[in-house]
Amino acid sequence: MADAGGPAGSYLAALPSSIRRGPDHWLASYLAMLRFDIASQRTWLPMFILTQVLFGTGMAIIYGFYIGPGMSPEVALFIVSGAPALAAITAALIGVTSMVTERKLAGTWDFIWSLPAPRSAAVASTFTVYTAMTIPGIVATLALAAWRYGLHLSVSPMAVPAFILASVMVTSAGFAMALAIRDPLVTNVIVNALIFVVLLFSPVVYPITQLPGWLAAVHRVLPIYYLAQVLRASVTTGLVHNVTASYAVLAAWTVAAWVATTWVIGHRR
Amino acid sequence: MLAWDLADLRLQLPILACVLILQGAGFVLGIGLFFRNIPLSAATFVVTGIPVVNLITAGLIFEPQIVADQRAAGSYDFLQSMPAPRSMSAMAWYTVALITALPAVVLTLVAGVARYDLHLDITPAIVPAVLAVSLTGVLMGYAVAHAITIPMITRLVSVSLIFVIFGFSPVMFPAGQLPGWLAQVNRWLPFGPMATVMRSALVTGMTAGVGRAYLALAAWAVLSGLIASLAVGHRR
Repeated sequence: MADAGGPAGSYLAALPSSIRRGPDHWLASYLAMLRFDIASQRTWLPMFILTQVLFGTGMAIIYGFYIGPGMSPEVALFIVSGAPALAAITAALIGVTSMVTERKLAGTWDFIWSLPAPRSAAVASTFTVYTAMTIPGIVATLALAAWRYGLHLSVSPMAVPAFILASVMVTSAGFAMALAIRDPLVTNVIVNALIFVVLLFSPVVYPITQLPGWLAAVHRVLPIYYLAQVLRASVTTGLVHNVTASYAVLAAWTVAAWVATTWVIGHRR
Repeated sequence: MLAWDLADLRLQLPILACVLILQGAGFVLGIGLFFRNIPLSAATFVVTGIPVVNLITAGLIFEPQIVADQRAAGSYDFLQSMPAPRSMSAMAWYTVALITALPAVVLTLVAGVARYDLHLDITPAIVPAVLAVSLTGVLMGYAVAHAITIPMITRLVSVSLIFVIFGFSPVMFPAGQLPGWLAQVNRWLPFGPMATVMRSALVTGMTAGVGRAYLALAAWAVLSGLIASLAVGHRR
């Protein structure tokens, strides 16, 4: 080129001659984005944990007020073992979706996509931070609710995969939903409707047999029931049967959320 | 001011009226799922308590958020500068809150009665009960909206109030189901008395101390009115 020796040419020559790729680059980008996510969300993350603990524990206490003094130990156990699912779902529906929406409104996603890091590394980092922040909420809610009702839970080693899968699933689903829906107002309406459905019309703190047949059938497709089952199975004995199917459905929803996220972030405007 | 409010909120008010209907009927139908067989007394408490939530949501929860938005958008000062008595602004909101809530009250009661096969004895006392509960809610909301000048705190207070009303007040369940200390606290809060006043006009034999409940509502309405008038009458 005629101007290859000029100022522009020397600038271009200083740039890397090949596109960086490969596992090492991905890992380095992931770690850098992890630092970015933690630093940019540091004031919000404690609030995120507090909100989910207050919500999960608060709802467990409130359900007890409604059911009243005739509550059987089995009903109390259902409420306590369902409370962490409420905390996790709240974390995703309120915490993750508002983080994604705020970044959307502020143009932060455009900035993040422009960084010299693979988009998958950026998303994986956000998933990691919010999954890690959801687990303490699940544990704290479970402990507080058990203390409130004076129950002893039988925590099994399966609590580890259960808590991790539950957290990954809710984070992924909340993230994918908020990112895929263009209008923040629509996201807000869906989030509020879902909170209402989760709190009243979902078999989280009561058995699915108490739902009308058609609503039970809907919940056998949605992930809410399976999330509660997986968490309940890890801290109780004899209440949950066929937990493997619940793990499979949750894993399928997680993968579906990842596919949706991949499609949205890979889509050029 | 009424025409102003109706025109200003022409898009939000129909949505709010629908939300109130869905919220009330949804709650009444949903709470039954928590019981294998819901006792008649529990169903009656929920069905006769939810109209309180219908009546005060517009005034106590929605209004402060609108004012918070006005402060954030800068239109608050403009509205305050209008040549209309500021007390009329509260009365206009009272009318708007009643218009928005009444369809929800009726439909929620119909849904509850149909779902749980209840029998209500509605007396003429329903008229003062509805007016008193709504007025207290509007004045409390007015006080929160105008006395708290930071929009974020206003939103936090109104969201917390939803939790307090639904979960920690003897509105949709008897005070005896709360811990003793919380039941005592609630004797001095307005939400239990609101439920007493409404319930006494809808069913017989489930309420006591209706006179005290009206007095408590009057006290909260006067106190809120004073706080609001001090806040809006204060020159900056």
